[in-house]
Amino acid sequence: MRNLKLKGRSIKTKYYRILLLLFVAIMAGGIGLVFYINAQQEQLDQKREVLQHKTATINELAVTLSEVFFRARGYVATQSENELALLNAAVKGLDGILEQYSSLKLSAEEVRYRDDLKVFYEQYKSQTLPEVMLLVKNNDYEGIRNLSQSGSTRAVNEFLSYTKQFKANSDALLNELNSRSIRQADTFTFIAFMLSTLLLLFFTLLIWQMLKVIIDPIVKLEEATNSLAAGEAVMLGKLHKQDEIGRLYEAFLNMAHSIQDKEEELMMQNEELHAQQDELQDQQFRLERSLSEIESMMKALNQTSAVGILSNKGVFTYVNDNLSVYTGYKSSEIIGYTYRLFELHNIAEPQVEQMIRKLSTGGVWSGETELETKEGAPLWLQLTVMPYLNDEGQIYQYILIANNITSMKNVQQELAETLKSTEQTSMMLELNNQLNHEITYTLDKQEFADKFNQFMNRLYSFDSSLFLLVKDKIAVVKGVPPENVERYIGEGSKEILYRLSVEKSYMVKRVGSVREQGISANEVYCYDYYTTVVNAEDEILAVFCGTRIGHPFTEEETDEIQGMMNRVALAIERLFMYEEIENGRKLNQDIVNNVNEGIQFVGTDGVIQHINKALSQLFSYEDWTEGMLIPKERWMEHFTLQVNESEELGRFYQKAMSEHTTESSAMKYSIGKEDMKHVDAYAIPVFRREVRVGTLFVHRDITREYELDLMKSELVSTVSHELRTPLSSVLGFTELLLSKTMKPEKQLKYLETIHKEAKRLTELINDFLDLQRMESGTQLYNVEKVNLSETVLSVIDQYKLSGTHHILLEDEALNPEVEVDKDKIIQVLTNLLSNAIKFSPGAGEIKVMLHNEPGSIMVRIQDHGLGIPKNQIGQLFQKFRRVDNSASKRIGGTGLGLAICKEIIEKQKGTIGIESVEGEGSTVWFRLPVMQAETGHPEEEHSLRWSAGKEQKPDVMIVEDDYSLSLLLSEELKGKGFRVTHHYHPQKAFDQAVKTPFVAIVVDLMLGDELDGWDLIRMLKNDPRTEKVPIVISSALDKDDKSMMDNVQKYLTKPYPPGELSGTLQEIVDIQLKTGEVLFPDNGEAGHGAALGEG
Amino acid sequence: MVQKVLIVDDEEVLRMLIEDTLEDLENVETHTAENGGEALARLAAEPYDLVILDYMMPVMTGIEVLCELDGELKSRTPIMMLTAKAQEMDRNRAREAGARYFMPKPFSPMELLQLVEDILSEKP
Repeated sequence: MRNLKLKGRSIKTKYYRILLLLFVAIMAGGIGLVFYINAQQEQLDQKREVLQHKTATINELAVTLSEVFFRARGYVATQSENELALLNAAVKGLDGILEQYSSLKLSAEEVRYRDDLKVFYEQYKSQTLPEVMLLVKNNDYEGIRNLSQSGSTRAVNEFLSYTKQFKANSDALLNELNSRSIRQADTFTFIAFMLSTLLLLFFTLLIWQMLKVIIDPIVKLEEATNSLAAGEAVMLGKLHKQDEIGRLYEAFLNMAHSIQDKEEELMMQNEELHAQQDELQDQQFRLERSLSEIESMMKALNQTSAVGILSNKGVFTYVNDNLSVYTGYKSSEIIGYTYRLFELHNIAEPQVEQMIRKLSTGGVWSGETELETKEGAPLWLQLTVMPYLNDEGQIYQYILIANNITSMKNVQQELAETLKSTEQTSMMLELNNQLNHEITYTLDKQEFADKFNQFMNRLYSFDSSLFLLVKDKIAVVKGVPPENVERYIGEGSKEILYRLSVEKSYMVKRVGSVREQGISANEVYCYDYYTTVVNAEDEILAVFCGTRIGHPFTEEETDEIQGMMNRVALAIERLFMYEEIENGRKLNQDIVNNVNEGIQFVGTDGVIQHINKALSQLFSYEDWTEGMLIPKERWMEHFTLQVNESEELGRFYQKAMSEHTTESSAMKYSIGKEDMKHVDAYAIPVFRREVRVGTLFVHRDITREYELDLMKSELVSTVSHELRTPLSSVLGFTELLLSKTMKPEKQLKYLETIHKEAKRLTELINDFLDLQRMESGTQLYNVEKVNLSETVLSVIDQYKLSGTHHILLEDEALNPEVEVDKDKIIQVLTNLLSNAIKFSPGAGEIKVMLHNEPGSIMVRIQDHGLGIPKNQIGQLFQKFRRVDNSASKRIGGTGLGLAICKEIIEKQKGTIGIESVEGEGSTVWFRLPVMQAETGHPEEEHSLRWSAGKEQKPDVMIVEDDYSLSLLLSEELKGKGFRVTHHYHPQKAFDQAVKTPFVAIVVDLMLGDELDGWDLIRMLKNDPRTEKVPIVISSALDKDDKSMMDNVQKYLTKPYPPGELSGTLQEIVDIQLKTGEVLFPDNGEAGHGAALGEG
Repeated sequence: MVQKVLIVDDEEVLRMLIEDTLEDLENVETHTAENGGEALARLAAEPYDLVILDYMMPVMTGIEVLCELDGELKSRTPIMMLTAKAQEMDRNRAREAGARYFMPKPFSPMELLQLVEDILSEKP
């Protein structure tokens, strides 16, 4: 900025500008002038040229015109064709020149001339010339003359004269032009001279001015400089100029000021330098003093410490006396040798290198070193080494200062050793302590032996050792091969132990085996120490053998080991004792846990300390584990709440646990509702050394006994009751008979009653004994192959005559052969039928049904009697259980029948059961396993024939009172796939016939007393429901009543082969199948018959 | 004056035996009931001078019949328990329930007759 500003004000710029302006003015003036002159000259030249050109043109025109006339005349004259051609060319040339002339700048007069000329020319060219030519041709010279006088050539003549005049004029003009240009040149020369003079004047003025501006300040400056040089103060006023001079001026002023300032500063510095010099002198003085101090210190150092100086190569160059004294080397023996002369014992090579590295970088090294004196004695030095640097900072020597600390070191070492031995002792003590602790608290022998062996090894550093608990043959070893251990626990152990039992301990020194020798090249000696642990009775409890290779036992050590053994003896005895106790405890616990009685031991504080399995099961306290303590409130609540007699049990517990109670007590309680458990509990206070320690509770589950007891007493009372009632009758009536007189009828009645009751008594006793026998397993069963159908029929046959109840058999069982005791099954059937008859006092019909079930034959006995209340059904098979109601009571019975039946059936691998609805009747059923060999091929055959399923087997009724014949026929028919219903009573047969759609009814003519077969047939035929059922007569009688024969399908005369009957029935069925006849139209069960027909 | 005796037993034969035993007594009328319910109905209907009650009966035992009877009736009506259960315990229970006399089964009709006579004659 400043520069830019200054630029405008600089002198240089100013004068450059002036000069530039001048130069531009001169150049412009000069150029202008030249151009002006040239322009003037050119103008003149142009004028002259135009004039000349005009003149020339006009001349030419004049010439041409002259030529035209000349030629024309020539032509006219000569009439030569050649002249005509030239004339024409001249005319043409005239045309061009005329044109050229027209283009010139013409004055008014000239224009007139030109126009005239043009008119003339046109006229001449177009009229005159052709006219002339024609005239020429015609040789009419007269005409030509006329023509030339007609004035047509006047314009030409005028022009020609003008041309002469013009020529003269233009020459004059040209002259004038020339003179004008000469004049002009003179004027220009003058102007140029004037300008040069002016310029010179201007320059002179400029230079003068310049000198005045520059020189004055310079002169002033010069003066100031001189005065400055002279050291005077420069007194210069401010120059208010901003050009170079101004700046120079200012700079000079600044310089002058700064020089003055500097001068002052220099003066001050000088003074300071003086002060410093003083101080330096002072310092030097002090330095000298400290040097002397150092020297004295050095002297002192020399007195107390060893000092050595080594070169930078580590060679000793100086040693003081002390060093010689310490090391035992003379100084001459040290100087010249490197520091390697002294071997540093405690400093390893890498550390030495590290030290050298430190020194070489200028650091100081200091430390304790151990070396040897010349004599080989250990020497400890507190060594300090420092490098000395020269001016260049390089090490040129090392100073070594050493203090002898050998004695201190020795003391230190001694101290350390003492400390170490103390530590060792304390470690031993610690180990001993630990051993004591371990052997006191370890209860496991193996663990104990392990630990003991470990301790012994730690204490005495055995190379191999063996510790053997003799009784348990627990051996713990270290570095002993198993076969060696075997010697102590195996067969020959007695011999090995013999020496020990005599000597108790001994030591063996021997040459080590190869294994023990290890890597050693020489023989090694091994020291075996054998010792024993004996109890008070001098029995060996344990053996310890330890081997040390090359390291004998000191007497102190063997004593110690012996002491150790004595100590261990107690511990081992304790271990044995503990184990015994523990075994005893475990045995007791096992016993307690495995007895059936629940055992509970409660402390005096009421806390359960032990309960056994049986108890935890009894009270569902399964989460109890050994060692668990259960507070009184918890277990009491848990136990008593489960018990039906909560309060009593609570009181029992409280009383038994009370400290005043010293006697044992007992109570009985029960748990649960459904299957109640009965428990007999007793409590015994437990004393230990006459101090009450708690209470033992024993809970015995007496449920079985209780139930047995209950059963027994019930049985006894029942039996006694059952026996006493008939006995009462017998005794009572006999007594009445004996003591009273009465009518013979009454006597008879009494006797009958007595007889009946006595029979009942016998029956009862028999049944009871039977059952007893069966239950006790002494009953023998005479098993044989039995046809159940036959047996059933035979039993039913026995009831045939009783009359009150009709028993019908519906038998569809194929091959109903079972392996049972026939008599027993008859007993069962009789029993069941008797029951059925007894318990259906009103209704007369009892139905026995037999059919096959997979693998068994099912027999069902159905009555329509009293039935059994639902809740009593389950008890029916128990002894002396009768349906408890007055109606059944009236019926009587021993109450053992069903129990006996159950016993028999179950012994024959069968099952038995009852279904009943009270008031409607009961069905007792049993099933017996069918004999495996003969099962139902024929049945399969017929199943195919009669389509599948029992339901659709064709029903056939046999009315026959001879059961063996009935059986024979039924077997045949069953074999052919019929379901056979047996009847022996015509009325009953009829009753069923109207209910069941039979395909046919086989009737025996000879039946009971009241009605015979004919009656039945009549009844059937007279009833619309049965009239169409085909009837087959099976009779021993010959056909005699012909009137009835129409109603009979077939008449078979006994004896006939059973096949004949079945064949006949087969035919009947086939016909029915074909015709689809409805057999049973009337009583609403048409469906059944229809189904059969379709089938 | 006719005295009334009610015989309660589920066994018909025994009822007959007792009735026949007592038939020789003058001025004594015997009624029978074959179960507890019937007995209670009869006792409610008319006063009896003696009740001979069988202990072991189905549905309702002799003890249960006694328990159903009100105390006033029991105090004025002698009750004899006929029981096959000779045990002391049963006897005690019966006594507590209000039975005053016992006759074990099987019994001697003559003894029974004597006892009944005694009881009836004691009664004013």
